[in-house]
Amino acid sequence: MMTKKLSIQRYLPEQGNAPYWQDFDVPFDDSTSILDALNYVKEELDGSLTYRWSCRMAICGSCGVMINNTPKLGCNSFLREYEGPVKIAPLAHFPVEKDLIVDMEPFLDHLAAVQPYLIDDSRLIDDNEEGTQTYKQTPAQMEKYKQFAGCINCGLCYSACPQFGLNPEFLGPAALTLAHRYNLDSRDQGKKQRMAQMSREEGVWSCTFVGFCSAVCPKNVDPAAAVNQGKVESAKDMLIGIFKG
Amino acid sequence: MNKGTSLNNDTSENMKRSDEPIWWGLFSAGGVCFAVFVPAAILFIALLIPAGIIAPEALSFDRARSMLFSLPGLIFIGVVICLPLFHAAHRIRHGLHDLKLGKEHLNKRVTYGGAALLSALALVGFAVGIL
Repeated sequence: MMTKKLSIQRYLPEQGNAPYWQDFDVPFDDSTSILDALNYVKEELDGSLTYRWSCRMAICGSCGVMINNTPKLGCNSFLREYEGPVKIAPLAHFPVEKDLIVDMEPFLDHLAAVQPYLIDDSRLIDDNEEGTQTYKQTPAQMEKYKQFAGCINCGLCYSACPQFGLNPEFLGPAALTLAHRYNLDSRDQGKKQRMAQMSREEGVWSCTFVGFCSAVCPKNVDPAAAVNQGKVESAKDMLIGIFKG
Repeated sequence: MNKGTSLNNDTSENMKRSDEPIWWGLFSAGGVCFAVFVPAAILFIALLIPAGIIAPEALSFDRARSMLFSLPGLIFIGVVICLPLFHAAHRIRHGLHDLKLGKEHLNKRVTYGGAALLSALALVGFAVGIL
């Protein structure tokens, strides 16, 4: 079996302040993913290596890491794709807690800020049987937002975004995409509330359309398209506001 | 990194609307002009006429003068000078931000101020010529 050199960025705050690189030789074949390689290191070489993972099939979004400086999911990147040694580091632009584990709390705060759920107060007031009726939606209505509904909250787009790197207050690709996804949903009435967040300096307007978010998205959600459609919506919202006075 | 503070505080300062739609609108309009009209202007004025493909009389002084100081001339100034200036200013401002140079509010004043000044100069020139 062939082996590949893995260079992993380690950070053990209880043992020292500075991160350092540690090399491991890992056996691999065509089916060995980066996550398999990390599991091999933990089980066979160094049990102290710490990283997140769960589903192994690009559904849970837990195993995002920088592989040769590009944010990727460990489970759907394979050692066979890389010539020479492979560098693995924690996701960029997030505070590192230990080894490959980053603090996702700021990311989750940004998601929560855009109210990413159906808002429809009229139903609660009119119906005493709240929540017992199903919403109806045609396939055409669903098609409008479906592409933007595939996000698995892995955070790769935040690591890819240079504007989030410069300003961590920027709501960022995933949150703005989610806002756009609910704004496009025929069952939702919450656009006005979300628009206030989107129209802030740290909303859609901190995006400069670099587009790397869409390039790294493992679910092809295309956050760059969503954010820039959000810019059009925000600009329209401003114009309408001016005419309404 | 800042732990996502102040995101859910609905104070007016936090939720202040960005003025970016104005600059983004000018940037977009200028981008279209840069892509469509500026190359056409360069093609005619800087390539076809000097190469002799179009007779130089097409832009003789009297003809150029009468074309420029008219309504089409005003539109020409708008789409070949003013809007592209705002497009360029926007790119320079965001470029400075990306390179962490200067201060945001100062960069904004210098870049858009410069574009506005040069646009005003072109329009003053137009006004002087037409009067």
